[in-house]
Amino acid sequence: MEKKLGVYICKGCGIAEALDMDRLEKVVPPKIEVRKTHPILCSPEGVELIKQDIANEGVNTVVIAACSRRVLYDVFDFGPNVVQRVNLREGVVWSHKPNEENMIGEEGGPQVDELIQEMAEDYLRMGMAEAEKVQRPEPYQLPEPINKRILVLGGGVAGLSAALEAAKTGYEAMVIEKEAEVGGFAAKLRKQTPWTYPYEDAQEPVIQQIIKEAEAHPKIEIRTNTEVARIAGQPGDYGVTFKDAGTKSVWDVMSKEEEAAILEKLAEEGQAAGAREPSPDEPHTILSTNPDAEKFGAVVLATGWKPWELKEEAEEAPEAAEGEGAEEAKKEEAKEGEGEEPAVEEPTYEHLGFGKFPDVITNVALEEMAGEGKIICPSTGKPATSVAFIQCPGQGTDEDFPYAAAITSMVALKQAKYVREDNADAKAYIFYQHMRTLGQTEYFYKSAQQDEGIFLTKGDVVSVSENGNGSLVLEAKDTLLGGDIKVAVDLVVLATGMVPTTKDDPVMNLAYRQGPGFRDLELFDGYPDSNFICFPYETRRTGIYAAGCGRRAMSIQESRVDAAGAALKAIQCIESANRGVSVHPRSGDMTFPDFFFQRCTQCKRCTEECPFGALDDDEKGTPLPNPTRCRRCGTCMGACPERIIGFADYNIDSIGSAIKAMGVPEEEEKPRVLVLACENDAYPAFDQAALMGLTYSPFIRVIPVRCLGSVNVVWIKDALSKGVDGVLAIGCKYGDDYQCHFAKGSELFSIRADKIGEALVSLALEKERVQQVQIAIDECDKIPGIIQDFMATIEEVGPNPFKGF
Amino acid sequence: MAESKWVEPDVSFVKELKALGGDTLKKCYQCATCSVVCPISPEEQPFPRKEMIAAQWGLKDKLVGNMDVWLCHQCNDCSTYCPRGARPGDVLNAVRAYSIREYAWPSWLGKIVPDGRFWWLLLAIPVVIFLVLLNAIGHLHIPEGEIEFAKFFPTLWVDLVFVPLSVIWIPLTFGIGIYRFMTDMHKKALAEGKTKRKDLNIPDFLKSILCTLPTILRHNKFSQCTQNKDRYVPHMLVLFSFLGLFVVTNCFFVALYILQSPGPYSLANPIKILANVSAIALFVGGLLMIANRMRDRGDNVGKGSYFDWSLLILVFGLAVTGGGSELLRLAHVPNVAYPMYFAHLVFVFCLFAYLPFSKLAHLVYRTLAMSYSRYSEREPCE
Repeated sequence: MEKKLGVYICKGCGIAEALDMDRLEKVVPPKIEVRKTHPILCSPEGVELIKQDIANEGVNTVVIAACSRRVLYDVFDFGPNVVQRVNLREGVVWSHKPNEENMIGEEGGPQVDELIQEMAEDYLRMGMAEAEKVQRPEPYQLPEPINKRILVLGGGVAGLSAALEAAKTGYEAMVIEKEAEVGGFAAKLRKQTPWTYPYEDAQEPVIQQIIKEAEAHPKIEIRTNTEVARIAGQPGDYGVTFKDAGTKSVWDVMSKEEEAAILEKLAEEGQAAGAREPSPDEPHTILSTNPDAEKFGAVVLATGWKPWELKEEAEEAPEAAEGEGAEEAKKEEAKEGEGEEPAVEEPTYEHLGFGKFPDVITNVALEEMAGEGKIICPSTGKPATSVAFIQCPGQGTDEDFPYAAAITSMVALKQAKYVREDNADAKAYIFYQHMRTLGQTEYFYKSAQQDEGIFLTKGDVVSVSENGNGSLVLEAKDTLLGGDIKVAVDLVVLATGMVPTTKDDPVMNLAYRQGPGFRDLELFDGYPDSNFICFPYETRRTGIYAAGCGRRAMSIQESRVDAAGAALKAIQCIESANRGVSVHPRSGDMTFPDFFFQRCTQCKRCTEECPFGALDDDEKGTPLPNPTRCRRCGTCMGACPERIIGFADYNIDSIGSAIKAMGVPEEEEKPRVLVLACENDAYPAFDQAALMGLTYSPFIRVIPVRCLGSVNVVWIKDALSKGVDGVLAIGCKYGDDYQCHFAKGSELFSIRADKIGEALVSLALEKERVQQVQIAIDECDKIPGIIQDFMATIEEVGPNPFKGF
Repeated sequence: MAESKWVEPDVSFVKELKALGGDTLKKCYQCATCSVVCPISPEEQPFPRKEMIAAQWGLKDKLVGNMDVWLCHQCNDCSTYCPRGARPGDVLNAVRAYSIREYAWPSWLGKIVPDGRFWWLLLAIPVVIFLVLLNAIGHLHIPEGEIEFAKFFPTLWVDLVFVPLSVIWIPLTFGIGIYRFMTDMHKKALAEGKTKRKDLNIPDFLKSILCTLPTILRHNKFSQCTQNKDRYVPHMLVLFSFLGLFVVTNCFFVALYILQSPGPYSLANPIKILANVSAIALFVGGLLMIANRMRDRGDNVGKGSYFDWSLLILVFGLAVTGGGSELLRLAHVPNVAYPMYFAHLVFVFCLFAYLPFSKLAHLVYRTLAMSYSRYSEREPCE
């Protein structure tokens, strides 16, 4: 369809006072006939004006030069017509104060700051250029009719609860449990931490009731002794192959190496793996499809946790159970040029006597003991009369044991109560650095405190040693009792955490090119989240939602609530896939990456770099997109050296055209800087800075991007080669406390920026011209400083020598 | 790491403190708001935060003999501000009650005096003694004519009971208690580094007492309390009335045995005026203290235990029976006046005989602890 642009310039909110509107309108080229200014474009009259033009003049692409795209998007929504916003309000007039020295204008006419006027004119030109290149997206439709059944991995509290929640909402669910019985660890508990008023005593475990309910529900199918051999496909169309627990299947997902060997062999034979009919006893690569696979729409990952184990030897040799994902991630990291992190040594807790004395046990061992009978000392078999609970391993840290989250405090209180209920004369000591009893569970802490035989103190446990008479001595420093103390105990319990099953095991067995498990495990401590704070339940694989202790160490009740969240998220995913839109974080986005395969060189960078493993590839390495796995971050587009990936409304050409439309004056005193701002945090921060009246240099031009991961280096090259003096990319924080909405986007950009720096040097351009800054959405106050610093750098390195060419 | 100290919680100690009015002690979560708001705690190693955890852990050694426990005047500012309702002020009060018992000699009296089950026994002892005595001298009836209490209970016989009580019983029993208390307190202050003075030097300690007395007499500590400042006046009234009555008793003792001038004395007699003013002060002070104890501060703060209430009732009973006897004598109601006098004697007996075991012992223990605090240079001498 031919584009017909209409350009609408708003005069409200101070725009007309700061700008020469006639000059601004002259920016619109004569070929665009429909061009209007309006005092208040967002008023009903203003909107009506646009609607009339759409109806009568055939305008199908509306360029609105007014406020930020982040506001009034519902007012400026014209159905199937493309809307392009030009941010004159927050981006220009609110964030820049006129300087007397720069005033221009004829006598009697409007007096405006030349630099601010240029900025507005540039933005309008850039907006129109971009508008020419974007299309209204069409939603993606799955080739097969959608399957809405939900697969739940794990038959513990979280798994069964997720199935129940899904079933109660009307969705079918299947629960897979590898053990012979469902119930998980919850079925082994003596009691569970309180979850109803008055929250004072541990309660009877609720698991049996949940099992009963799940087994009776007509929409739930439960399979025990069952494991997943592979999960293939994408949300709305997963094909899942099951197998008996502990057995091998030809459909087991292989490690990347094994698979590469097979593919190589096949290539020698000159056969395409997908096309060939494999023999029944031959392992299948991810390219083959099991015709007998069962269909599901989404997956809830509720495989929970494993007890922490003392590693016999702290060797770094990658074990079989290390997980393909982790290895791959490490390799990739090395490939990306980043040095491998020094191996983190597994703590051994030798000072606490673990592994040395039989009476130093974990909280998991104590719970199992309590579930079966009385609490005894393993060394003697006699009832424990004096038990110390150690919440923090100490040795210079005040952190709890790894993977403890907030749960181990509650567990220690509960188990201290066990000790007391088993033996009225027994004593239970709790040495903590943090007593984490959240919300109502504070009542549980209070009630445990009331027990005369429970003794609590903050303190740093220094050592557990033998007393000679068979009992143990615990020494602690910095206690609330003042000074260093020692107590004689006969049982020591370490408050070890709940290690997510995904840490060492590719639980999912995904038939994905990026491997069967979750990637980048080191960044997530082995958890599958994509962003724990902002997007709960979402994992780094779209369509797979984690619940329960596999997501965070939590209580049974929390797991139940968590399961409801994950189930709803799975349903949201299925329904989004059904409508052909993105589920999250760009909920409702109809775009998806479009590949121009004729020019693909099979470099696999998109496949490798996609943070969500959305792309597989065929035996030649040509990407095989799975649109419903995609989160529309554009990382693939940023990665592609051939620039053949794009979205209908966001592509290499649309942003590239905007960059090319930037005016680059030849005068040295008018430098130009392109700012690529992540639309999730950085761009809102710019808007907020304007709202707060903060100002910054008028020499910058800000272009919002979906994620810094989507920034293709060609944009930077385009900018620099046309004489732009510097490019500043502002995105989310990455690394340990990353805030990137797409997990890896800003980190990937940093790697690419490094490389482009090297390329710049070869062109006799300074490395400093391209920089990346990390910012959080609430750090708008830093915006002026960031811009000022970068402008200073640019001033130092001098004007771009390509200016004027 | 310095040599760490063995810690062995004593659960029975925790239970006893709870029974003595410290029932909330386990609620403390060590935020130390108490030590911050306490208006009278020293800046170094302030109380009562550390005393609270010691109480929770049943660490008797850290509490009994700890001078800080006695520096506390139960203002209960701490209890009012305590976010957990742990009532540190009341817990320390319970620790003091426990300490009095712990130092008591004979120890069985130390046990039964604070035990609410034996109040009748404590009263029965003087009643029986007096009845037996009266019976023996043939005075077990209401005398005829003008009311003179000596006609009913000859003063000599009264003094035969009270003089040995004052000069033998109290010095002996309380002396032992005080000795134990002082040595224990000094030992613990040394161990906890609260003093650098290795020995307990008597002349220096007496100087410390002298410098402490003005603080006590002026009730300086009480006046610093904010939550319980209402107690300042009643406590002062009671203390000074006791001092007044002490003077009166000694004067009349001299009058009787040396000047050979038996009572009753004229109401215009200056000593009699002092006696009556003291009696009124005791009555008013006692009444106000009872009202103060009953005042609602929320969370049962400062309500006190049997140990506290037994002294309040005794003080008030002394005032009522003493004043009542005099008024009934003047009103000439022999049938009530004589029994009232009898009751008064019973109360006085209780006051004297149980002094080292009742809450009244704080008069001495706290004075000594406050003096020791100055001696040990924990607090400056004002």
